[in-house]
Amino acid sequence: MPDLITITIDDVEYKVPNGMLLTDAAKLINIDIPVFCSHPKLDPLGACRMCLVEQDVRGRWMIVTACTIRVAEGMKFRYASPAATQAREDTLEFLLINHPLDCPICDKGGECPLQDQTLKHGPGVSQFQEIKNHKAKRYPISDLIMLDQERCIICWRCIRYLEEWEDKPQLGLFHRGDRSVIDFFPGQPVDAKTSGNIIELCPVGALTNRVSRFRYRPWDTKNIDSICVHCSQGCNVRLDGRIHQLRRVVARENMAVNDEWICDKGRFIHAFADAPERLTTPLIRDHKGGELREAGWEEALALVAQRLAFTADVQGPAAVGALGSAKLSNEAAYLLQKLMRGLVGSNNVDHRGGAAVLADPRGLSAIRDVEQADLIVLAGVDPAEEQPVLATFIRRAVRRRGAKLLILHPRQIEDTRYPGAYLPYKPGQEAALFEGLSRGLLQEARVKERAARLAGFADLVDGLGNAAVDAAGAEAVRLMLSAQRPMILYGPALVSGRAAAANRASLMNFALLAGCVERTFYLAPEANSVGARDMGLLPASLPGHAAIGDAPGRERLERLWGVKLPTQPGLGYDEMLEAAAAGRLRALYLVGSDPASQGPAGQAALQKVDFLVVQELFLTESAKLADVVLPAVSWAETDGTFTNLERRVQRAAQAIANPHSQAAPDWLIFTEMAKLWPAVAGEAKAEGKKSKRKSSGAARQWGYGSAAEVLDEITRAAPMYDKLSWDALGDEGTQWPLADAAGSPLSAVASRRLTPPERRSVAPGRDEYPYALVAGQVLFDYGTLMRQTEVTERVAAPVAVSINPADAAREKLAAGQPVSISSAVGQVVLPVRLDETVQPGTLWIPYSLPGAPAETLLGSVSAGSGARVRIAPGALSSSEKVG
Amino acid sequence: MKRSDLQAMARRELERQQAVRCRLLCCASTPCLSSGAATVQQALEQAVTDNKLDAEVAVVSTGCMGPCSRGPMVTVQVAGQEDIYYENVTPESAQRIVVEHVMANQPVAEKIMPSDLPFFAKQHKIVLANSGLIDPERLEDYVARDGYSALAHALREMTPEEVCAEISKSGLRGRGGAGYPTGLKWDLVRKAPGEKKYVIANGDEGDPGAYMDRTLMESDPHRLLEGMAIAGYAVGADQGFLYVRGEYPIAAKRLEKAIRTAERRGLLGSRVLESSFSFRIDIRIGAGAFVCGEETALMASIMGRRGQPTPRPPYPAQSGLWECPTLINNVETFGNIVPIIAHGADWFASVGTAKSKGSKIFALAGKVDTTGLIEVPMGITLREVIYDIGGGVGEGHTFKAAQTGGPSGGCIPAEHLDTPMDYESLRALGAIMGSGGLIVMDNASCMPDVAKFFMEFCTDESCGKCVPCRVGTVQMHRILERITNGSATAADLQILEELCTMVQETSLCGLGQSAPNPVLSTLRFYREEYEAHIQRRECPAGVCKMTEAPTLALMEALPRRIRELGTIPMSLA
Repeated sequence: MPDLITITIDDVEYKVPNGMLLTDAAKLINIDIPVFCSHPKLDPLGACRMCLVEQDVRGRWMIVTACTIRVAEGMKFRYASPAATQAREDTLEFLLINHPLDCPICDKGGECPLQDQTLKHGPGVSQFQEIKNHKAKRYPISDLIMLDQERCIICWRCIRYLEEWEDKPQLGLFHRGDRSVIDFFPGQPVDAKTSGNIIELCPVGALTNRVSRFRYRPWDTKNIDSICVHCSQGCNVRLDGRIHQLRRVVARENMAVNDEWICDKGRFIHAFADAPERLTTPLIRDHKGGELREAGWEEALALVAQRLAFTADVQGPAAVGALGSAKLSNEAAYLLQKLMRGLVGSNNVDHRGGAAVLADPRGLSAIRDVEQADLIVLAGVDPAEEQPVLATFIRRAVRRRGAKLLILHPRQIEDTRYPGAYLPYKPGQEAALFEGLSRGLLQEARVKERAARLAGFADLVDGLGNAAVDAAGAEAVRLMLSAQRPMILYGPALVSGRAAAANRASLMNFALLAGCVERTFYLAPEANSVGARDMGLLPASLPGHAAIGDAPGRERLERLWGVKLPTQPGLGYDEMLEAAAAGRLRALYLVGSDPASQGPAGQAALQKVDFLVVQELFLTESAKLADVVLPAVSWAETDGTFTNLERRVQRAAQAIANPHSQAAPDWLIFTEMAKLWPAVAGEAKAEGKKSKRKSSGAARQWGYGSAAEVLDEITRAAPMYDKLSWDALGDEGTQWPLADAAGSPLSAVASRRLTPPERRSVAPGRDEYPYALVAGQVLFDYGTLMRQTEVTERVAAPVAVSINPADAAREKLAAGQPVSISSAVGQVVLPVRLDETVQPGTLWIPYSLPGAPAETLLGSVSAGSGARVRIAPGALSSSEKVG
Repeated sequence: MKRSDLQAMARRELERQQAVRCRLLCCASTPCLSSGAATVQQALEQAVTDNKLDAEVAVVSTGCMGPCSRGPMVTVQVAGQEDIYYENVTPESAQRIVVEHVMANQPVAEKIMPSDLPFFAKQHKIVLANSGLIDPERLEDYVARDGYSALAHALREMTPEEVCAEISKSGLRGRGGAGYPTGLKWDLVRKAPGEKKYVIANGDEGDPGAYMDRTLMESDPHRLLEGMAIAGYAVGADQGFLYVRGEYPIAAKRLEKAIRTAERRGLLGSRVLESSFSFRIDIRIGAGAFVCGEETALMASIMGRRGQPTPRPPYPAQSGLWECPTLINNVETFGNIVPIIAHGADWFASVGTAKSKGSKIFALAGKVDTTGLIEVPMGITLREVIYDIGGGVGEGHTFKAAQTGGPSGGCIPAEHLDTPMDYESLRALGAIMGSGGLIVMDNASCMPDVAKFFMEFCTDESCGKCVPCRVGTVQMHRILERITNGSATAADLQILEELCTMVQETSLCGLGQSAPNPVLSTLRFYREEYEAHIQRRECPAGVCKMTEAPTLALMEALPRRIRELGTIPMSLA
């Protein structure tokens, strides 16, 4: 209960919370004091003078700014008095003197606080007939944002947002007096990853969205609440559509998830939803080597159903596989695995970053918990590139609450600029790094005493040995031990690849010794990474995380689905591609998955399968190889739910629909395909004959009329989704409970047992591959969705291999020079980029660059994020070519 | 260094000074330097050497002696004789001073400025007591005049509480212009919770024509440092910042040297005078923004941010530099601390009026016979300052107005010449004490033009943060422009007055709040001049050109004319 005090406004007494800003307190009692510079999410400034009221200061009525006064007992104000009203009118009159009043062509028109305040509080007339000041118009402050300095009323919201949330003071006020302008520093345009929020904060049309400019009128769009699907945070957004097109994306407040911010990828990268290159009709290739031709849905679906059923029947269900994606909605992911398990009878279902990653399926306790931590350990994650809004919360914790960051990353990532410690490592050294830290922790008597009670202690101590801890490690240990509320965040890079288990064990040992295991969280990467696992889009677990071998769990789903389920775990992502390459997997169904764009190995595998189905938005590299291409719709064109990195199930409602396209939602495609599934497997043998409709018993379980009905079934299939429904999710979603995980299949991941370190063979020294390749995600890459907008050209990461300048000097490489990089499995050519943040001995290549160089060098998605490579000047020479 | 070392240093220095028969003091502050003081000093030194007087005559460069319009100034000190001031000294007259006065004891009569003039007699030097007498670049000179003994006394014999009480008791008020009781402010900072505290001396003197702080910093830097150190001790700060206006390179150089010397001798830095008190002073140079004289903007500038004000509260005493309690006083205020501690609060309070104690330095400028830097007891009348000290406005001219407080101040007309110069009396007239700029104007000055000058200054210097100041100063300036070029209408004057009130009441900081003062005060006392400009399109002082037509009046008249004619006349269509 807040401490209430009494204040007087216009002779009426009110009880309001002590210490609150007067503008906020007044709002509680329905007095809407107009503001421009003041904003609930930004620190008070007192610049615009819009919120003027009178205050009784020792018997004298003084004009004061309501936005900077914190209320205290007995304060007296006048809001509606003639003097206060006049003062506010005068302020507005002043603001309008130099405002261009080009409202008819201004993007902000219709949702502009300056318009609204003028209507409500303005003087009605102006006594000034002055020549307006002229300043820069159409002035780009970044690749994404346009500034009109004439419209600007200098409220500082943009400057303050970048300072207070991004901690990147990239905009400032330049010049003085009425020549004052907002500008960026010479040669340094704005590049903060959440910069677009300043467009929404701007109370006039001074900052506009370069992607959406002049493409909408606010009153003319159909606005639908949704969420962003570019990363795992699930930021709440509103999709503004008009004439079947997505015209802009704006943030929607959800205090638990994104406050009211979204990142620039979420805001600006949405052209893929309207792109002319979208697939609009099913395509069929009649014979291998032929061309893809347009086809009707019925023909395409029947063909797929028959061929999959046929292959399962003839070659056995294990010859059929499906690769989904962690970008698919829960409904799509659920139905894909249900189709594979229930109709094909195969557990060969996975997605990129699925089985290969030893993820803790529970994710983060709660996003905003990061703001309460006093030490945040970032292990193999770079929130600034991977979850930019989460990164702003982390920076808030650092700047506002004095939190420190302990960063373990192969690259000197941006947030290493904060107090704390940075421990670099090369891919492959993760376990050794954590073991070193564990040794350091064990040198503390209190840690040793506490840990002695844990199972496996003696073996651990024995295995760790007593090698000395280096200075950086000692500092990390000191930080860990002096923290009251530490939190460890780790990402997929740390727990995937060949050393995944050892890495995770060493991380968990460290967390247990530090007493921080309950506050050690996995940061899932994709929009529905958590949901895809929950839905059982994995070869060895069913919806609700029941293991394939767990009979009661399996039987429960058999009853629900009315089928017998396969009992052997299926193949994972890489295994399926290997099986395809080896000719063991004969039919493959790709849904939102594009292995062919991930290097030559994937391409070769897809070319080997007898029957390839690709369900996609675009004719991807994989789709080009397909026998049947099924056009799907984006998240904006159908209803769906996504489960974010803190287990929050959120709705993404349909916002637009393209009447000129036959593309269909994933759930509907699966449903219609199931209805066409041959009743008797033998039927499919008679190819060319028209199949019967509604034939099999299983297909009868596929009567979904909407995505919401799929969700209803999910709530029965996955226990943690119990009682959820489309309506109940509401605007802000619902987290599935962390606590309920006890006793469920998830409790195993929270083991309190120390694991003895693995004996590793010493890494070879001067081998023929002297460099460690570091691959990782960047916000703006060249992925399928990014490629559909010209914005990408301006903002995307440079297509290059980055190398430490010292290494470049030793290798005699100059910036921009083409080099060939080769690993045991592949070779690529890229220009060189010199980068201090890349550690000596490593090379950095982001994922999803054109031609997939990082993926090519890694060879397979489960290789983890590292490989040994060598670098040589010049382009490929034929003698060097691998394979 | 201990207190006894200080006394020993003073003794040695006095012996050194007494070892010579004659001392030639040569002013080396900015006004005299700009009129050739450096060559005068060279000429003096040359003459001394040429005449083989090096052993018995010392040439000393000092700070300001006061009558700046009569510089370069030279003072001849001969043991046992009254000091003699020479004005407008040239290298040739310097030669003569040495040959005739020093060697032959025949003072050069035509260059003497009589020391019994009211210019000297009516002054009361408390802050400038050393100015013009000591070499500002030599610590020994300062110590010989009891320098740093007030600090030693405070550290040894007074508690911080007692220091604050002593300052309170003295009645000293802030010399930056607003007149806030200094002791009260110190006590607030002393009591404010917080480990780390700061002391700031505001030397960002920006008013046009004012140079009190520059003179003090140039002429007696150690007095300022000692005052700040006493303040640091009183409020519990261990770090001071001296914010020096960017246009004051000599002041910054001398302060820098003074700080280094004081630190080397243990008078600043860690364990001051071998006590447990440590105090470091750093200089921050301004970058030419007037608004940085405003305390919150100044602090932003010190912290490396754009120099812009922030709303108060919180006041610096609660949350200043890096959110720590911060004492910020004007340079001149700090100049008063040493005499108060040295001579006692009662001694200080005996000078001045009931509410305004001590003295005030003014930069007397404009249409008076002798302009320069003067220090007068509070409560002296404006008439005494202008007619006695300044020597009047000169034959054939009539006094019209005295402008105090620069762009934040106002104009005082002839009928108020007997107003005592103290905080309250000046405020009652719509003027302010301000930092001490005092510009005298005669009947050749046009008051709307004067108001326009100051408004242009504010328009230029407005930082742009808050709307009333950013937009309002420009609008006011445009109206004043119209008034002074003949194109204003009666409505303009009304709007101007409304604008003044609005900008005054709603601006964020003192710059905007006081920007209308020159307009309001000239409107109050010289309204008929404004009306003459608008109604008769004439400038009584003959300053304004009045070349423009009243355009707005034409536009107002147009619809009326159209109504009368029922149609648009061809000539206007």
